[in-house]
Amino acid sequence: MPYLGSEDVVKELKKALCNPHIQADRLRYRSVIQRVIRHMTQGVDMSGVFMEMVKASATVDIVQKKLVYLYMCTYAPLKPDLALLAINTLCKDCSDPNPMVRGLALRSMCSLRMPGVQEYIQQPILNGLRDKASYVRRVAVLGCAKMHNLHGDSEVDGALVNELYSLLRDQDPIVVVNCLRSLEEILKQEGGVVINKPIAHHLLNRMSKLDQWGQAEVLNFLLRYQPRSEEELFDILNLLDSFLKSSSPGVVMGATKLFLILAKKFPHVQTDVLMQVKGPLLAACSSESRELCFAALCHVRQILHSLPGHFSSHYKKFFCSYSEPHYIKLQKVEVLCELVNDENVQQVLEELRGYCTDVSADFAQAAILAIGGIARTYTDQCMQILTELLGLRQEHITTVVVQTFRDLAWLCPQCTEAVCQALPGCEENIQDSEGKQALIWLLGVHGKRIPNAPYVLEDFIENVKSETFPAVKMELLTAVLRLFLSRPAECQDMLGRLLHYCIEEEKDMAVRDRGLFYYRLLLAGISEAKQILCSPESDPSLRLLEDQAERPVNSWALDFNTLVPVYGKARWATIAKCQGVEHHGPELPNTAAFPTSGSLIPEENKERVQELPDSGALMLIPNHQLTAECFEKTWLSLKVAHQQVFPWQGAVHPDTLQMALQVVNIQTIAMSRAGTQPWKAYLSAQDDTGCLFLTELLLEPANLQMQISVKQSEARTETLKSFISVLETVIGTIGDIKS
Amino acid sequence: MLCVPTGGGSRLRLSLPFSSGFEKMIHSLFLINCSGDIFLEKHWKSVVSQSVCDYFFEAQEKAADVENVPPVISTPHHYLISIYRDKLFFVSVIQTEVPPLFVIEFLHRVADTFQDYFGECSEAAIKDNVVIVYELLEEMLDNGFPLATESNILKELIKPPTILRSVVNSITGSSNVGDTLPTGQLSNIPWRRAGVKYTNNEAYFDVVEEIDAIIDKSGSTVFAEIQGVIDACIKLSGMPDLSLSFMNPRLLDDVSFHPCIRFKRWESERVLSFIPPDGNFRLISYRVSSQNLVAIPVYVKHSISFKENSSCGRFDITIGPKQNMGKTIEGITVTVHMPKVVLNMNLTPTQGSYTFDPVTKVLTWDVGKITPQKLPSLKGLVNLQSGAPKPEENPSLNIQFKIQQLAISGLKVNRLDMYGEKYKPFKGVKYVTKAGKFQVRT
Repeated sequence: MPYLGSEDVVKELKKALCNPHIQADRLRYRSVIQRVIRHMTQGVDMSGVFMEMVKASATVDIVQKKLVYLYMCTYAPLKPDLALLAINTLCKDCSDPNPMVRGLALRSMCSLRMPGVQEYIQQPILNGLRDKASYVRRVAVLGCAKMHNLHGDSEVDGALVNELYSLLRDQDPIVVVNCLRSLEEILKQEGGVVINKPIAHHLLNRMSKLDQWGQAEVLNFLLRYQPRSEEELFDILNLLDSFLKSSSPGVVMGATKLFLILAKKFPHVQTDVLMQVKGPLLAACSSESRELCFAALCHVRQILHSLPGHFSSHYKKFFCSYSEPHYIKLQKVEVLCELVNDENVQQVLEELRGYCTDVSADFAQAAILAIGGIARTYTDQCMQILTELLGLRQEHITTVVVQTFRDLAWLCPQCTEAVCQALPGCEENIQDSEGKQALIWLLGVHGKRIPNAPYVLEDFIENVKSETFPAVKMELLTAVLRLFLSRPAECQDMLGRLLHYCIEEEKDMAVRDRGLFYYRLLLAGISEAKQILCSPESDPSLRLLEDQAERPVNSWALDFNTLVPVYGKARWATIAKCQGVEHHGPELPNTAAFPTSGSLIPEENKERVQELPDSGALMLIPNHQLTAECFEKTWLSLKVAHQQVFPWQGAVHPDTLQMALQVVNIQTIAMSRAGTQPWKAYLSAQDDTGCLFLTELLLEPANLQMQISVKQSEARTETLKSFISVLETVIGTIGDIKS
Repeated sequence: MLCVPTGGGSRLRLSLPFSSGFEKMIHSLFLINCSGDIFLEKHWKSVVSQSVCDYFFEAQEKAADVENVPPVISTPHHYLISIYRDKLFFVSVIQTEVPPLFVIEFLHRVADTFQDYFGECSEAAIKDNVVIVYELLEEMLDNGFPLATESNILKELIKPPTILRSVVNSITGSSNVGDTLPTGQLSNIPWRRAGVKYTNNEAYFDVVEEIDAIIDKSGSTVFAEIQGVIDACIKLSGMPDLSLSFMNPRLLDDVSFHPCIRFKRWESERVLSFIPPDGNFRLISYRVSSQNLVAIPVYVKHSISFKENSSCGRFDITIGPKQNMGKTIEGITVTVHMPKVVLNMNLTPTQGSYTFDPVTKVLTWDVGKITPQKLPSLKGLVNLQSGAPKPEENPSLNIQFKIQQLAISGLKVNRLDMYGEKYKPFKGVKYVTKAGKFQVRT
């Protein structure tokens, strides 16, 4: 930090510190030292007076000692040779009769952070571990970890570790917790401190004596302990019961996590615990501290993944109040979206409707998107609200509404009619790329039901020269061509003009190529163009993927009370990977690098895949067809016949998988896009007796495994086994290729 | 008897996929003011460069309003978990996975401690007491782990600055550091010192309830809830064992307890039985959220309108008592964030005074107390930016108030009994109800 005149300040202070008159006057001496510290905290380099400060440490005044120690810890790494002089004084203080001085000196000595200090601190630390004052023991125990770090993490001192393990029995609760902290750091390479049965029970019995921080940490350490028997498990849960009612949210969350993990084989106990912490969690959600509130809301969302109705009766708690910060409002809107049910949908929608006109554009848009999400289940009410919003003629509102319309038309075909009626007039209030694209797409695909669609598109074509976004131009090309195919008379002329512009004048290569492509496609004939461009207008099967089925509690229990719920699992994996925290983190999806031409499955593997169907008694019929609706209906009506987990690494390449499955006559009904997390796919197959096999693939890259659930229309174990083995081979083979 | 795994226990290495827990909890702490100056930093492990805060400033810039900076930010090598208190940011630097609630709670505890020591948690107070601040941080956290955070233990280690004491200190040259160690750990009860002695033995309880509510345009309640706490100030000699009972304990269905309370006893008899800490502490906190139990003590009559294509609007609000159980409502303040197009306001209050800040567009009306004979009102004209479209939505009113000697939930303490000591203590209970987040939509 540049600081004018800092040299003068150092010179002046140095003089003052050396002045024997000042040294004789305790108060003046101390005030000079305080000035040094003050300058130090402001970032002025005060290392010039190190020598004088070391001298000042030889005093009976404990405040002065504290200040000088603080100073030494800051500058010792810069002046290691001079700091060695200070060590003498520190060592002497380590055997002072006042325990406070002993603790202080020991702590400062351990924090010197300079090379070569280890040999001096070892003995004082060992003495400190046996000190009769717990204050000193606390410092000494943490000092062990600091000393270990100074040694450069190399070897673990077995004797020291044993000493620390035995100090877990110390009278003082903070010494106990510090022991855990210290051992954890020293044994990092070996997986941290070991919690065996006697230690676990000892800690459990000491729990009530610890402060809230200690309790929260011990709860975290106890996660490593696995009870030997069911009886022991429930004994532990009973002991932990009262911590679910602690006044500290940190302890409550820690206890909840421990409950969830310990009871992972008892779903009813898990549900019960989540019922019990509902109150404390809701309290945290309306806590005075906005940050606590935010973290709690993130956890509420996580619980809702497994227990969708869990907070529905408290939905009003998640109404936003005006003065709340943004990040809380956004979380609340997400929560509201997830706990909508038949009873509260009216109130929730009214509330969300209010947010849509909020001063903050971001928040208003989030509310509109939320209504769009709810519209997938409660279409009519939501469509009405969305249509009304268009009437406000606000740019930031209209663009998001049109985007939700596009998604709705794609996912819920029953909305299309209403969407088409609402669209006319929107074009006047849309300026951004995303909104324009959505509008143009809708006009192209559903243009035959919107009377003025050609005129709107014509306006876009008139202004295409001044259009700045290439993506909009691409969308426009496709839309006009589509509309031309359904309403040729009205569109022929403008399509010609647009193609002419794109081919002759457009500078963006992608747009120009698209124009040329369409031009040549039209040359090939109308029926060819129709075949390529008139793709389905909606895809309700995607909803099947989006409707997150209730996820088991165990799938997120490990992430509870960590930063994962704050970031979301996918983003967390990315962040953690960047930071090198999670060394074996999942590979990021790499969609571009995979070769798309040529044989996707190496020849030898193909044979292996093809051979298999004959080996069992199972014969899957080729050309078996099942519509998405039919699949959904059957899927919901059947029970899971078999569930299994295969190891899997990295991302999925849907095309490869689909092709491979096709080879063995398994049809893909729906699958997530590459890179989606969790990635899902639904498959169907039928054998020669007419028995249906419906399969769900669920891939959570973070777990490095692919979970398959198979449902069967007729219960036959034999064929089921064969089917699974076919599936296993395919998945195994695909996995092999990739790795 | 504990069995000690030898050799560091590598044989029992865990295969469970837990990240390595709490190792290196809080690495560093930066205090940052609203204008983005880092005015204090403290490192418990190696020094982390101030430049890590650039990520925080980036987020601050993106958030437009300081209030909206997200509490958790990730940077390439660290996570920043921050809290915003009294116009200051406490930014902690974290290196590994941590339970976020734990860190947030701890940062609030640091802020609480400053508040407790200096009377306010402001930049000026912290700068004036920078030496004590460092002493406190040093005791509260070692190697990045929370150590002493209980106010009464800390105060034995580091004496708070009082005007009297600093005068005395400057005369006698004595220090503000305790020369003896806190005695907390010498007693069998970790939260209570041994050998406490008072000449006057007193036990006081404050029942404080805050109403959080959202009232809609028509005056009906959208959402209402009471957040209550019982704070205790106990100055009793020896080892008193107290039990506190209520007239209507059934009201309390969602309670969190201080660790001193015997949970089983509460579950079976609905009595709070405990050996109290010495001094001030929070005994319980609770919530009453069942809609029909929450009384709304004030109502607001409002008419706020902006005319289309005109540069003025009307503003008229009146406040009156509703379900106030016959007590006086006092300390009323109304705060309104007016829409951006409002240039100025020309209002007349029938009582109290009002201010309007044309920059932040915040209207504050300091009302005082309600006398039912003449209800306070504030009315007048609003000047709008000419030519701008009229605001979509009317602003919400945030209301603050206070009612003495009333717990709005109806909670009443029945009796306090003391066992284990012979003397007769003074006992007292005070009730107060306040507005929390109390919002009226218009």
